[in-house]
Amino acid sequence: MKQLRNHANSAAALLIAVLFALLLRDPVWIDVAVVIGIQALIALSVGLSFGQAGLLSLAQAPFAAIGAYATGIISVHYGGSPLAGLAGAIMLPALLGYLLARLVIRLEPLAVALATLSLAAIVEVVIRSWDSVTGGYVGLSGISPLAWAASPREYFWLVLLVIVIVIALYENLLASRFGRALNTLRHDRARAMADGVPVVAVSSAAFGLSAAFAGVAGWLYAHYVSYVGPGDLGTHLSISVVLMAVIGGASYVLGPVVGAIVLGVLMRMLPAQELQGLFYGGTLILILLVARDGLLGIAEPWFARALRAIVPQPARVAPEDERRT
Amino acid sequence: MLLFTEYVIRGLFLGAMYGLLALPMSLAFVTVGTIDFAVGAYALLAAAIGATVGGTLGALLGLAGALVASLVMAAVFVLLKRAGHHDTIMIALSSFGLAVAIGSIVLASWGSTAFVRQGLDAVWTVAGIRINPQGPINLAVGLALLAGLTALLFGTGLGRMLRASAVNAQGAELAGIPVVAVQALIFAAGGLLGGIAGLLILYSSGLDFTAGLSLTLSGFAASIVFGVSNPARGFLGGLAIGVAEALSAGYGSGAMTALIPQFVVLLTLGLGMLGAGRYTGYRP
Amino acid sequence: MSKGLQAIGMHKRFGGVHALDDAAISVEPGRVTGLIGRNGSGKTTLFNCITGFIVPDSGSVTVDGRDITGAGPQTIVKAGLSRTFQTPREDARSTVRDAVLCGCYVQSSASFLGALTGLPGARREERRIGLRADALLERFGLAAQAEAPVGTLSMGLVRLVEVARAIASGARYLLLDEPAAGLSAAEQDILSAQIRALASSGVGVLLVEHNFSLVLSMCDRITVLEFGKVLSEGAPEQVARDPGVIEAYLGAIERGDTGSTQ
Repeated sequence: MKQLRNHANSAAALLIAVLFALLLRDPVWIDVAVVIGIQALIALSVGLSFGQAGLLSLAQAPFAAIGAYATGIISVHYGGSPLAGLAGAIMLPALLGYLLARLVIRLEPLAVALATLSLAAIVEVVIRSWDSVTGGYVGLSGISPLAWAASPREYFWLVLLVIVIVIALYENLLASRFGRALNTLRHDRARAMADGVPVVAVSSAAFGLSAAFAGVAGWLYAHYVSYVGPGDLGTHLSISVVLMAVIGGASYVLGPVVGAIVLGVLMRMLPAQELQGLFYGGTLILILLVARDGLLGIAEPWFARALRAIVPQPARVAPEDERRT
Repeated sequence: MLLFTEYVIRGLFLGAMYGLLALPMSLAFVTVGTIDFAVGAYALLAAAIGATVGGTLGALLGLAGALVASLVMAAVFVLLKRAGHHDTIMIALSSFGLAVAIGSIVLASWGSTAFVRQGLDAVWTVAGIRINPQGPINLAVGLALLAGLTALLFGTGLGRMLRASAVNAQGAELAGIPVVAVQALIFAAGGLLGGIAGLLILYSSGLDFTAGLSLTLSGFAASIVFGVSNPARGFLGGLAIGVAEALSAGYGSGAMTALIPQFVVLLTLGLGMLGAGRYTGYRP
Repeated sequence: MSKGLQAIGMHKRFGGVHALDDAAISVEPGRVTGLIGRNGSGKTTLFNCITGFIVPDSGSVTVDGRDITGAGPQTIVKAGLSRTFQTPREDARSTVRDAVLCGCYVQSSASFLGALTGLPGARREERRIGLRADALLERFGLAAQAEAPVGTLSMGLVRLVEVARAIASGARYLLLDEPAAGLSAAEQDILSAQIRALASSGVGVLLVEHNFSLVLSMCDRITVLEFGKVLSEGAPEQVARDPGVIEAYLGAIERGDTGSTQ
């Protein structure tokens, strides 16, 4: 997929982030924005695994939950610092994601999707039944807040900062041999093998990284709410982050973020909580039917045209007429 | 020993329903190369309607509801194919969306209370083991449907078309078989079989609005544990998982029991018993 | 040890079918070797066994003396062996330059974490393989199409992209699976000129082909497979005169039943 090169996406994200941060004053909306930002991070992790590597994961929310519980356990049981918690929130999901991928990635991408669903169920049961560590049904409360991001407003800045860093890392990866390998193996594994790509190792690494992104989101969540319980980062969130990524355009770096914002705002307007699933499911099917590349897929031609009008073409790009030959 | 036998028998009755769910899963996997995540949701919908209306009419209406839902999936499948999306993961993803939507409809219309109905009050005692007749009924229905499906697959023209589309869709298309229509039929069959399973569960252990995806997973686990290649293996897989769950519930903890299908899926996949080698690049 | 790519005593069964039955082939550096045979004669199986896409039941494959029998494709590519596909498997939306960069995978030593964090070493590697890709595009006359999506190219150019992508790995041996299938005569000429040029630069080329006249005109040596066995092996004119080959292969051409080239 033709991406805007280098760090155009993170630059755009940074710009949008600063705009948001400056414009948002209403405390209610700041709270909404923090939640949407955390969901956008998990949606970004879907973008990496599904949009780039073609591996559908239905366990991204459980990975975030593992991140949240990791930092929660370190904070509540051991009095550890949030930074120690961050290390745990990155390493634990990354390791688990990597191992799961190692186990099943040789198979059909579909089998991977099912394996993640199984993993999600296992994580849920473990969280509910391991009372002494996770607090079982009660959950973990009293997770220490971040001293350096105490107010919701400061926390919002922190979430934005993390998003921009994650996007920059994501872009780095895409612009490397690994990003190209992921795109190749999503398209055709045999083609990637013929390039000499160690398919299992590379996709497992990407899957682990994607789980780590979700873990960081979980870390942000735990320290924001100061509490994490078994119902917080569950199946419904796994579904909505996939939906966010698909709506925005999973193969575009910024697609999941756009999807998270659009869906996050729309969700506030939905009348009944019970109908959330119907809305999610229906929208997902609709998007797959009419706009497979998501909102950014629709916007891309317009955007490219506008860009051509404003910015002179870089020398390497062939002129339009030559390109059609 | 008596207790053990009772657990095993209870497991077989439970497993019959997993086996039933496994039938459409393996059909869809083998012929379309995809997974219908909504199979468990069809069961849920049938059970919800069946619980509300009750009796034979309720069962029929429940089946009709499940069938309608699966026809929606079949229509989505055809539309996706028409739009030129041959990516099986997109089909699976849309079935996932349907499963979530059905769960939400059930929650909004019936609330979060569990659906369960007492069918038969009688209790048989056979050699000291107490059996609710609903159990043998489940097993009998499961076996009858398995036999019917096997006969359909291996004894009729439609079955030949199904198998031909499974082995080589392109070749079947060239031979004049309406592959997309045949595959759409598979999704519809998922509604019927899933619906029957849902009704049986309604009259046995009961279920609530969250059951959709976990039933799909149990069905999938059943369909792959002994190999996905034919329906009989899928049904046998269902029985095996049912027995394992019953033993675990009897001797172990509830949490363990809930994890059995998940571990079966992960282990079977990890051991590479599903579709491994399909990506070695070799195209016969 | 000896230079060249050697496969000897190759056996492979699929169910009851003996696809390879003591097949053998050898490719020398700087030479173009043709592998021909009718449909089902085992040439694709042999090709896949050599490139690691199928594990042979028995036999041995060595590259410049190094044993690569049964190794995975990524090991084999690193050992200096690259392949193309009969039906190009390029992503239609990827640009030509990206496609060739994909072929440079084993040429870069950037680590996953290095690439992720954008360490200077990884960036340097990226620049290096970028230059390498540009040079290859230049060499194959694809520079003007560098940023064009592969899907917009003619079949002739797509085949060139495939060859450039394969050689981008730094391969010393290039295995081409029916590269001329579906090309016009003019496109075939351009492609064979490029393949000959690669051979003169020292690359050993193995060409699996249906098109007997193309093989005769391009190859320095030819191996003919029949029922998974070597029917004949030698210089083109020698093979063309072999009575067994004429009976089994050329005779069939006259009868018009060689099967289609897909």
